[in-house]
Amino acid sequence: MLLQALFAGFFGMAAVWFGVVVFRTSSMVRSALALLFSMTAVGAMFLAMEAEFLGVLQIMMMATEMAIMAIFMVMYMMDPGGLGQMDMSHQKRAAQAAGVLGALVAIGVALLTSWGPAANAAPGAAEQTRLLGIELMERSMLIFETAGVTILTAMIAATAAAIERRRR
Amino acid sequence: MSFLPVVLALLAGAYLVAVLEGWVSTGRFRPAGPILSGLALLGQESLVPRTPDRIFFEAGPVLLLTSALLASAVLPLGPGVVIVDLATGALFVNAALVYVMVALVMSGWGPDAAYAMVGGFRFLGQLVGYSMPIVMVIAAVAMRAESLATTEVVESQAALWNALYQPVGFVVFMAAAMALCFLPPFDLPTAPGELAGGVVAEYTGWRLAVLRLARAVLVVTVAAAVTVFFLGGWHGPVLPPWAWSAVKTLAVAAGMLAAGRYVPRVREEHLLAWWWKLGIPLALLNIFVVGIMLVTVGG
Repeated sequence: MLLQALFAGFFGMAAVWFGVVVFRTSSMVRSALALLFSMTAVGAMFLAMEAEFLGVLQIMMMATEMAIMAIFMVMYMMDPGGLGQMDMSHQKRAAQAAGVLGALVAIGVALLTSWGPAANAAPGAAEQTRLLGIELMERSMLIFETAGVTILTAMIAATAAAIERRRR
Repeated sequence: MSFLPVVLALLAGAYLVAVLEGWVSTGRFRPAGPILSGLALLGQESLVPRTPDRIFFEAGPVLLLTSALLASAVLPLGPGVVIVDLATGALFVNAALVYVMVALVMSGWGPDAAYAMVGGFRFLGQLVGYSMPIVMVIAAVAMRAESLATTEVVESQAALWNALYQPVGFVVFMAAAMALCFLPPFDLPTAPGELAGGVVAEYTGWRLAVLRLARAVLVVTVAAAVTVFFLGGWHGPVLPPWAWSAVKTLAVAAGMLAAGRYVPRVREEHLLAWWWKLGIPLALLNIFVVGIMLVTVGG
């Protein structure tokens, strides 16, 4: 239990550190990959907390997502390598205020919510996968299907908007 | 503890794959070739290009090796001969191998060189192509085994291999496996003769040795994954289980290396078009057919 807590803490710190790196570096590629490793560390936290399926899924999905984000960041930024010392931050006051407010709200939620009694043991990994499957196929099905169809619509719309119209 | 046997088997497999790759690409069979070229690389100066992204440049090859090793940790060589028997093993294989792309993007971006960067980003595009079909095929394999654990997947094929039960999935998975190992005709990130080595162009000396080792380990790992998911893993008559795993893995690796000789390199946009217009529909069809077969005929 102590070891698990130590690992969860370690990966939590790693996630926060990589999150800080995202904003410290001026290279877009470094920034995207730091975000990826921050998310990977969150996945490792899941693993440390015995949520195996969620951890593995997080580690897998984030790599693809962040890499695709990196393409867009490189495509649209004028200085993707960060070699030109270009300052890409803006609205600093508002951003700081939003950041502090967000952190306070998150800490407030973490401390003030009654989380209920802590579970003594997580169900076995295979059982967790089964329970998640049942959750996705029963209670949460509508939510996930709606989200899926929305994303698909957005993808088709974006592709349609990007394709140059052929002249007849 | 099956850590040591698995790692030794992996290294031996990587050596044999290096011999095979030399044989396939040069036409000469040199059993000592990898040792000699390895020693030559270690003796060579390892240059660092001008203005590199040093962290990416150094971390790329190591991450490539790490991701291949992590994926191999959940692939069983025989009953009980597996480093960790994860309940989500089949998903974990893919999760670890996604970092191949991260490693190649890092080593492509790291040296601050045009060819390397083009190579790295080409592999990213390649991943956008093959990653969806590979997961869908694994889903169909897990459907038959009713489990994501790799040992259960092997057990589910005791009577009939998945290669015969779901041949469409097998073909899609083999193609995706070759794309994942960037073997010809999917060797877009390295593209000898066109990108002059691409991602590996700027690496020399021991760094290149690590990169080559990582690539060979990756080929063995992916071939082992094909064996576990489709060729019944350790099942087979007469020979002991580990020997069947080894024979099948090497046969798959040899097949992947040999197949690339007869096909011209695919262009990036053609590759994406083929994967999205043919690969994904085939993978979906595979899931559908396997589902119907499971309901009607049974596993």
